[in-house]
Amino acid sequence: MATINAAEIRKIVVACDAGMGSSVMLASQLRKQLRKAGVTVEHSPVASVPADADVIVCHAGLADRVRSGNPDKPIVAVQVFLGDPAVTRLVAAVKDRGSIDV
Amino acid sequence: MAESYTPPVHGTGLRATVQKFGAFLAGMVMPNIGAFIAWGLITALFIETGWLPNEELAELVNPTITYLLPILIGYTGGRTVHGQRGAVIGAVATMGIIVGSDIPMFLGAMLIGPLAAFVLKQFDRLTNDRIRPGFEMLVENFSLGILGMGMAVLGRWVIGPVVSNVTEALGEGVEWLVDNDILPIASVIIEPAKVLFLNNAINHGVLGPLGVAESVETGKSILFMLETNPGPGLGVLLAYFLFGPRLLRPTVPAAAIIHFLGGIHEIYFPYILMKPRMILAAIAGGGSGILVFLAADVGLVSTPSPGSIFAYMSVTPRGNHLGVLAGIAISAGVSFLVGSVLLGFGRLEKDQPEPDEGGASGVTADVGASSASAPVSAGADGAVSHASAQSPSTTDSTPGLPKAGPAPRPAGSEA
Repeated sequence: MATINAAEIRKIVVACDAGMGSSVMLASQLRKQLRKAGVTVEHSPVASVPADADVIVCHAGLADRVRSGNPDKPIVAVQVFLGDPAVTRLVAAVKDRGSIDV
Repeated sequence: MAESYTPPVHGTGLRATVQKFGAFLAGMVMPNIGAFIAWGLITALFIETGWLPNEELAELVNPTITYLLPILIGYTGGRTVHGQRGAVIGAVATMGIIVGSDIPMFLGAMLIGPLAAFVLKQFDRLTNDRIRPGFEMLVENFSLGILGMGMAVLGRWVIGPVVSNVTEALGEGVEWLVDNDILPIASVIIEPAKVLFLNNAINHGVLGPLGVAESVETGKSILFMLETNPGPGLGVLLAYFLFGPRLLRPTVPAAAIIHFLGGIHEIYFPYILMKPRMILAAIAGGGSGILVFLAADVGLVSTPSPGSIFAYMSVTPRGNHLGVLAGIAISAGVSFLVGSVLLGFGRLEKDQPEPDEGGASGVTADVGASSASAPVSAGADGAVSHASAQSPSTTDSTPGLPKAGPAPRPAGSEA
């Protein structure tokens, strides 16, 4: 658990197993919601998350692997791919330049 | 990916390790799925029994499956280990495996591609900074060339024959399962592993390579359908739609569309992870689907990826469409029925004091009751309970979901 300042988030990376399926879907949703926030949203396989990611979003079932590859990064773990509260919180925090616990 | 071949040991549990290895295998295949689709379409259209038989174009079929696809896999596997140089030596080494084998060498390519790249990586590390100025190009080209030759020879003489035998033995094992009508039991393993995000590992890492070997021989394989059948997931989602936690229901239609038409199965995993006993519905659905596929004697030409109904129809050989559709429909029906029973036909909802607006207490109680009454499914698969244990929010967040569920739902427009 750490609190990060959402104003410092420049790049959000959504990770999934292959980096081709669910991450692409979630990333495009996030991108749509954050279009005006000046934040880059990318997707990637769990095993090769870009080093300049400020926050990593992934399913809770993959969080272990993401954490082991990126021990210092804040991770937002989601339970469902549509309308997860954690994602809603992240979007709200980025939009309001607030802070968020991850 | 580059480092994952020789990963530093992270103490993150068996599941993460298996996932990581599976992702490494799948990572060699999945970037090349487009080429598989091209091959599948060529085969479905132009072979003798296809839709548009054409002898000249049918000549593409064998070289593509024998050479192009394994080399692409070896190339990609090499690239993940050691960049472009790894990719090139991976392709060279794969050639050694292919020549002299009479089955498509997918497993062999997945083995020797990264291995050759690993050897080259070690060599490059050794010679790094020791090459005299001006000789870099000479050394780099010849180190790759000589090591590549060595790996190709090793592949031809040692690794190729071993992998041939292993692939054939595995194929015979599968044949035995088919002959004895116990293939449907595979669902008991496949469905739980799938929702633990081992779906790509199972399908692209194991079943796909074996399926291709069979498909080349007989024109189709049922192995492509074991993991990719979208029926069980659809049934689970439908059960949730009618009988799931009331406030969760509005999220289901969009999920079902993305799952069944878009082929992104990950979307239904959370619905099982939040009520682990629902895995029984998926297993029942998957098993009955396989039973129907077997009875109708149908298969697919190539891997349907993503597991969408459209991908399914496009890689179904001529004359098999009815049986394939029937299997999918029946697996969806069975998993819907079992899922509905497991959800108590929504009765579990009504037993609770009807929550009016945002009154999540009813749902909370339901979730609590369900996890208490489902020790069988949770306990039967240690990993499942591990999943919910390590992320306590799996159950905790369920009551929260509904609040967020209907409101944002951006995916409605997505679909």
